[in-house]
Amino acid sequence: MNKFTTALTAGVLALAPLSAIAADSDDPIVIPIHNWSSQIVMSNVVGQILEMNGNAVEYVTTDSQAVYESVRLGDVTLEMEVWEGAFGASFRAALEKGGIVDVGDHNAVTREDWWYPMWTKDACPGLPSWEALNDCASLFATAETGDKGRYLDGPVDWLKHGQERVEALGMDFVVVNAGSAAALWAEIGAAEADKRPIVVFNWTPNFAEAVWPGEFVEFPEWVDGCDKDPAVGPNPNALYDCGNPANGYMKKAAWDGMEAKWPSAYAILEKIDFSNPQIAEMAKLVDIDEMEPTEAAEVWLEANEDVWKGWLN
Amino acid sequence: MTAENPVISCKNVWKIFGPDPEAFMKTMPEGMSFEEIRAAGYIAGVKDVSIEVHKGEMLVIMGLSGSGKSTLVRCFSRLHDITGGTITVEGQDIMSLSEKELIDLRRSKMGMVFQSFGLLPHRTILENVAFPLEMRGQDKHTRRERALEVIKLVGLEGREDYFPRELSGGQQQRVGIARSLAIEPDIWFLDEPFSALDPLIRKEMQDEFLRLQQMLNKTIVFITHDFDEALRLADRIAIMKDGAVEQCDTPDQIVLHPATEYVRKFTEDIDKARVVHAGVLAQAHASGEGEPQDAGTTVHDMARMLVNDTREMIPVHRAGVSIGAMSRKAALDVLLGGDS
Amino acid sequence: MTVASTTLPTSLRSFSNAQIALACVAVALCLTIVQYLGLLPTWLHRLPEAIIPNFAAVLDAVFNFVKDDLGLLAFTRFLTEGLEWLLDFSANIFFGKRRFPNIGPVPWTAVAATAAVIGYYLGGWRLALLGGGTMVWTALIGQWEIAMQTMSVLAIAAPLAFVIGLSLGIAAWKYAWVDRVIKPVLSVLQTLPFFTYLLPAVIFFKVGPTAGAVATTIYAIPPMILMTTLGLKKVSPEVVEAGKMSGCTKAQMLRHVYIPSARTEILVGVNQVIMLSLAMVVLTAFIGMPGLGAKLLAMMGSFKLGRSFEIGVTIVLLAVMLDRMSKAWVIKLPEHFERDTPIWQKHSMLLLGLGLFIGFTLLSLVVPFLAEVGRGQDFSQGKELDNLIKAFLNIEWVKATTGFLRAFLNVQVLIPFRNFMLSIPTPAFILLVAAFALALAGRREALYALVFFSLVALSGWWDRAIITLYSVISAVSLAALIGLPIGILASRSNKWSERVLLVCDTAQTFPSFVYLIPAIMLFGITDVAVIFSILVFAMVPLTRYTIEGLRNVPEEMTEAADMSGATRLQKLWSVQLPIALPTMAVGFNQAIMFAFFMVIIAAFIGTQDLGQELQRTLAGTDLGKNFVLGICVSLMALTFDLTIMKWAADKKRMLGLQ
Ligand SMILES: Nc1ncnc2c1ncn2[C@@H]1O[C@H](COP(=O)(O)OP(=O)(O)OP(=O)(O)O)[C@@H](O)[C@H]1O
Ligand SMILES: [Mg+2]
Repeated sequence: MNKFTTALTAGVLALAPLSAIAADSDDPIVIPIHNWSSQIVMSNVVGQILEMNGNAVEYVTTDSQAVYESVRLGDVTLEMEVWEGAFGASFRAALEKGGIVDVGDHNAVTREDWWYPMWTKDACPGLPSWEALNDCASLFATAETGDKGRYLDGPVDWLKHGQERVEALGMDFVVVNAGSAAALWAEIGAAEADKRPIVVFNWTPNFAEAVWPGEFVEFPEWVDGCDKDPAVGPNPNALYDCGNPANGYMKKAAWDGMEAKWPSAYAILEKIDFSNPQIAEMAKLVDIDEMEPTEAAEVWLEANEDVWKGWLN
Repeated sequence: MTAENPVISCKNVWKIFGPDPEAFMKTMPEGMSFEEIRAAGYIAGVKDVSIEVHKGEMLVIMGLSGSGKSTLVRCFSRLHDITGGTITVEGQDIMSLSEKELIDLRRSKMGMVFQSFGLLPHRTILENVAFPLEMRGQDKHTRRERALEVIKLVGLEGREDYFPRELSGGQQQRVGIARSLAIEPDIWFLDEPFSALDPLIRKEMQDEFLRLQQMLNKTIVFITHDFDEALRLADRIAIMKDGAVEQCDTPDQIVLHPATEYVRKFTEDIDKARVVHAGVLAQAHASGEGEPQDAGTTVHDMARMLVNDTREMIPVHRAGVSIGAMSRKAALDVLLGGDS
Repeated sequence: MTVASTTLPTSLRSFSNAQIALACVAVALCLTIVQYLGLLPTWLHRLPEAIIPNFAAVLDAVFNFVKDDLGLLAFTRFLTEGLEWLLDFSANIFFGKRRFPNIGPVPWTAVAATAAVIGYYLGGWRLALLGGGTMVWTALIGQWEIAMQTMSVLAIAAPLAFVIGLSLGIAAWKYAWVDRVIKPVLSVLQTLPFFTYLLPAVIFFKVGPTAGAVATTIYAIPPMILMTTLGLKKVSPEVVEAGKMSGCTKAQMLRHVYIPSARTEILVGVNQVIMLSLAMVVLTAFIGMPGLGAKLLAMMGSFKLGRSFEIGVTIVLLAVMLDRMSKAWVIKLPEHFERDTPIWQKHSMLLLGLGLFIGFTLLSLVVPFLAEVGRGQDFSQGKELDNLIKAFLNIEWVKATTGFLRAFLNVQVLIPFRNFMLSIPTPAFILLVAAFALALAGRREALYALVFFSLVALSGWWDRAIITLYSVISAVSLAALIGLPIGILASRSNKWSERVLLVCDTAQTFPSFVYLIPAIMLFGITDVAVIFSILVFAMVPLTRYTIEGLRNVPEEMTEAADMSGATRLQKLWSVQLPIALPTMAVGFNQAIMFAFFMVIIAAFIGTQDLGQELQRTLAGTDLGKNFVLGICVSLMALTFDLTIMKWAADKKRMLGLQ
């Protein structure tokens, strides 16, 4: 920890008597770390805030899907980024089994949809409309897809329904599922070299925005029920004939024993709330400025005192 | 030979190797031959052996390779559990010993030198020799003293800190001998202990061995392939074939009166004159005239006298007392290889 | 069909294995042809959904019963606490986690100096350089802390694997029934895909270093058991008898006679434990293992190729260092000192090591750089490497080659092959596998094949299982096409053998995840990328065992061939290869096992096989399904394992090589 945070801790501790709740357990609060930068930095930011609150904090690296089981068991205390699209299913399943609680949403919204890096637009100027994309389908053809274009969807377990949408809208695309986020980046990275047009599944907030500027494809706007009622959306006979909602939630989750064990920390967690630009900045510190996550968290805290000061008890 | 109880006594001992020796032994018809047993898928390592070893006696076991010498000795020390018969050591049936009693017996009474040494590769010579003492729980200092003593005895001083692989075969063998001597065993089993030694050292070791034996008067079972060695050392020789003891007797008797055709063949090439003593040829009730011969003199040593002398009967004394007389013709027969 | 009804019921004894195998193939062919003609009823092509039993639910129930009702969870959680204490302890020493005894972290310079001294003691200046150099590299490249996080877990997990493996090995050697129980369990454990360990490890041992340590330990135990048993069995009977005659009790026997005499094998086991532990560094990061693996995953998640590559290099260096040192330890036999050597000379290395350790520790209190290399001081070339890799991939001929390979291999070869495999009716496929086992090994193995593959069919994941198998077969065939000639050529000279073996070591210890990204960048998300990444891994044992097999052909035989005037090719073909074949088969088998391992990991590229489904179950809601999928992979791998190993053993016996 550097001088700055030590000073901060001292300052906060001096204020501590004012807040009467501080009856938190001495056991460390375990914060999970996954494999994407914004989450790592955010977890470190939250960890350092909790340390200022006088809690002991420990980090543990885990898989971002398997983590919900660990939260249920209390091995991991909280989870800072529950994405509606990517982890909604795992989160809901864990909620049903019990042991995990929903601690509210971030201000940040998530969007997940078909996306292309900017250079694609040079070859297909009509973008971002989906009809224009469909007209350029052959630009996206690969050896395996013949004349049709290839759309690289997220891993199947993210349940992105790319295939259904292609059918519902009658697009000339073949859907290929990547196996991991890293696989998506590798494909974009490979395409970048010779500015090959490419359309892939992507989401925001995400480091990729900073590395590869790009845009989401504009599909017919999301209407509630598009995934349940065929009548909704342009194609009266098909589900999934719209784009994804442009504002999915990003939640905080915690072990259901957290409130009793660390009441003060839990109160802070309830108040914590990040916005899209804040998250993007955290990611940038690591991805572009090449800082270590702990360092990035310190820098971010220093620069955004007004944001988090109010969360402390 | 003393009249006390034998130190080792075995009666009708069998050791059969194979899938289920006990069951086979029970159902085995009487008088089955070695070959028949083998045809049934079993090997008779020791076959119906009855033999006794007395206190202070040195019994030498001989026989072709695979005749069961090592196996028999392993039965004596219960490294093998026998399949049939009984073995008693100092009056105790060793098959009835508990694990602990057996360990005690080996720790206090028995020593063994192995055919292929059986040294512990990760221990120095000193530690190898001191190993039995260590197992007995002796303190470090005493066992070191004792180990150094026996190492010196076998002529390996200065090599205490070497590891077995740093020694020659003969040297390793001497380590094995030293180890077995370290606990001063009363009963000593030696499985071809000098086989890897060069003739010079072998002779030296044999002399040393005889000296020790005179001093300590141990009970020894000794395996060798070398007849000269057997003759030098043995009180009695047992000759084995296919797991069975063909004959067990003094060297003279074995040469003079082979019990079986096999033993006769086995001893055929031996220079009998060097084996047979005046004492064996002496007839107790006969008497002769003139200068007597000592009972311990071999025919070979009397050769000149036998040829030049003209007496019919020559008196034989043992320790200055007459024990009878031997026929000169009989002695000449032994010398010249005629019928005895 | 007719063939089946006439041959099968009659006494099988009167037919040779080859005849029965042929009959099976014939039936399978008929079925397939009928299917192609469109005449095969669908229930014969694929098992109808309706009759597929719900194994997943049953397994789920069993798991929950064992976990909660039998109290296994409470028990393992109890163990976890002890383990956690140990891990915290080593974490404090290695990287200064604030726990008892609160004395760490040890400065990197002190560790590097000690590593160099140990290296020198074990194998002279070369190993000293390797030991010290690895540590210096790790520190200077800015990975010291994460490397020490990894080491702090391995420092507990590897000894644990050693102790457990040794004990089980002794038990298996001593009691035949333990051996009988352990053998099949080990086989299953070794073939079970990693994703199947993941969730139980997390549930029973708590996500974090504890689960990481447990998964590592479990993975590293089997060779330790095998080597221990092997070593104990090989102790010469006379040494044992000498021990008995010295009056050893049973405990003394084990401690003073058996274990020291089996030293070499036991140390080889230790070497295996170390290597397997390192192989798990990245995979265990999924369940909370801190350090290099976790960092690597994070770097890959944000497309930092250069940094991931550097971490890969560190892992390889650590692995090679520990491998070489432990191997040097295996062959290093105690040496005597002349009498009257002064104490300090006998222990000169120990003293030197201690001295340097203390010296650097003190020095680092004064010079902070010697204690810790800060960010900004390190020499990481991540960005530059990124550019280098991208530039390489952008070279015209590289693109042309990969483009061609992708177009040709994928479209002309792989996809048609996959479709063909999928078109074979299930019963026909099972018969084919059984015929393969029968022809190669024997009736027992054929029966296993029949049962195992029928179970796979019953699991309801047949198509995905076939796609998994297709990837494995394609990758291993290609690996053989490339790896065997390399092995044969390399085996001609000592120098080349050594070089190629070094490359094999490196390729094997390089974290497989690092291959995935370049594979995708070269070939896109296609089967070619999947097969390429498996191939890199599967080629290693093929090449290694080919070299070993050929180089161990007894000299008399090659000389005899020379004297009969054989040309090089004739000699290779009719003397060397036949004799080396059993050894090569072992390599082939290992290649298949590696391929089964890697094909699951290749799910991260994007596949439609069992691996993809397994990945889906990671959220933890589908434990039963996770087990079913894992067991499917295990059953297929076991079928090959049993068959090929039996064949190799038979062949060896026939050639009198055992
Ligand atoms: N542990 C064993 N298991 C099976 N057979 C054995 C065993 N030990 C010895 N035999 C067999 O018993 C027979 C006798 O062996 P033994 O070692 O006693 O011969 P030996 O007379 O000492 O031969 P050598 O002079 O070569 O040492 C041999 O046929 C041998 O194969
Ligand atoms: Mg013998």
